[in-house]
Amino acid sequence: MKESRQPALTDDELLTGLANGSDHALTQLYRRYFPMVLHLVTTNSGTDDDAKDIYQEALVVLYEKVRSGSLELHCQLKTYLYSVCRRLWLKQLTQQSRYMVRDVDAAATDQQAVNQVDDDLTDHEERNRQFDLMADSLDRLGEPCRTLLDDFYIQHLSMQDITEKFGYTNADNAKTQKYKCLMRLKRLFFSEYKV
Amino acid sequence: MDMNEHNDIENALRAYGDRIRFRRRLAAIHADMNLDDVREEVRMYRSDATQSGQIRMLWRTYRTTLAVAASVAVITTFGSIFLYRAYQQSHKQQEQQYSQLSKEIQAVKSSQRKLINDFTGRSRSLSVNPAQIAGSGFLLTPDGYFVTNNHIVRDADSVYVQSAKGEVYKARIVHTDQVHDLAILQLCDDTAFRTMPPVPYSFESHTSDLGERVFTLGYPREEIVYGEGYLSSGTGFRGDSTAYQVAIGVNPGNSGGPLLDEKGNVIGIISGKQTTSEGVSFAVKTSYLLETINSIPADSLKGLPLRLSRKNTLVRLPRKQQIKRMQEYVYQVKVFKH
Repeated sequence: MKESRQPALTDDELLTGLANGSDHALTQLYRRYFPMVLHLVTTNSGTDDDAKDIYQEALVVLYEKVRSGSLELHCQLKTYLYSVCRRLWLKQLTQQSRYMVRDVDAAATDQQAVNQVDDDLTDHEERNRQFDLMADSLDRLGEPCRTLLDDFYIQHLSMQDITEKFGYTNADNAKTQKYKCLMRLKRLFFSEYKV
Repeated sequence: MDMNEHNDIENALRAYGDRIRFRRRLAAIHADMNLDDVREEVRMYRSDATQSGQIRMLWRTYRTTLAVAASVAVITTFGSIFLYRAYQQSHKQQEQQYSQLSKEIQAVKSSQRKLINDFTGRSRSLSVNPAQIAGSGFLLTPDGYFVTNNHIVRDADSVYVQSAKGEVYKARIVHTDQVHDLAILQLCDDTAFRTMPPVPYSFESHTSDLGERVFTLGYPREEIVYGEGYLSSGTGFRGDSTAYQVAIGVNPGNSGGPLLDEKGNVIGIISGKQTTSEGVSFAVKTSYLLETINSIPADSLKGLPLRLSRKNTLVRLPRKQQIKRMQEYVYQVKVFKH
């Protein structure tokens, strides 16, 4: 167990590490609270995979809040994550028309945490919608635009790499091509998004 | 505007990329993780929770049983308390069922008759200072031995007996028998008492048969009162073998009176009645009177032997004559306490 030899990070250190993209902090965070969520989900008629999905979704919520600097934590990190997971799992159960969630942790009754989680999850759902649309738009963009944007924005390849990969004469050429693709994506995206 | 939207889409795309990369990292961490370790940890969680959960589960399972057990316990507890109380009370009632027929005389009850018959002046003191307890009694011998109930003369300061004619004599307690509720008195202590003709009745020591016609004389009030009935049982209150049960109307004041059979033999001494039923009276058997008499220490007799009459002069007399002869030997007993 690697973590046990290293000093356990505090909530604050974990969040700072998360914001800076530290793999170590993320790994420790993930390891620390996954059992709790696994327990919650599996005691409420979920599988291990359900637990994984829910937990990762919750971490995405946390990550994006931290990255945008909009995270206001009024409770323990553990409580926050628990509440998010609980809400997410409850939502999923409701969709499967099962209503009751039996709590495995008293933290869920922390009203302040629950309210905050409500707000955060509303934001999160909006972003999910946006990202679904983004994925859809990218799919409809066609080649080579889709791969070009994917390489640049998602795979974080440098402009130089892209120039070579796509056989453009120079980086400026590639940039222009990327701009054009972006414009097309924009049209596709907003045509749907604004409706 | 165009520029703005351009930034928007670029930012959105960056954020989108960010998320996808983050998800990849999460997936990588998850893949690295040893799931068995995690499950082990969850099991610990569970056993933590099951301790309280176990109690909850036990409660759920045995709720009904517990409720039933609790109600049974409550019912049993209160039931036993109730039964115990009821038993105690019934016991007390039974105790009260037996009433000793001595009469507590009210101070108000003053007798003019006594004043009229007052020759010696002693009666006056009685009427001025009426007795606190009164009962009946009768002579055993013509020379002044007398029997009454022990409960009448118990704790007495002084005992007087008054004849049907109103003559009053002071009496000495010779002997008491608490067990059979008998007391032997002596009247000859009093100089005013003169030896009478022999007592007309005899004492029947054999147990009389059920259905025997019986009668009694006593002083439930200032006058002598006659009562008759029959022997209804060979045992007394609650199976007391030393007494008879008699169906005869008796009242407070009758206590100590003689119970005679048709021939005029004394078969018992009226001692009490059951308050819960009508016509259930009790009388101490004569054989126990004899027993009591035999157990008197010689000292108490002061040289004057107690010899019971064996001759019954009432046998062939009609009842009215029997009573007439009898009543001179039946006295009212008055007891004074401080």
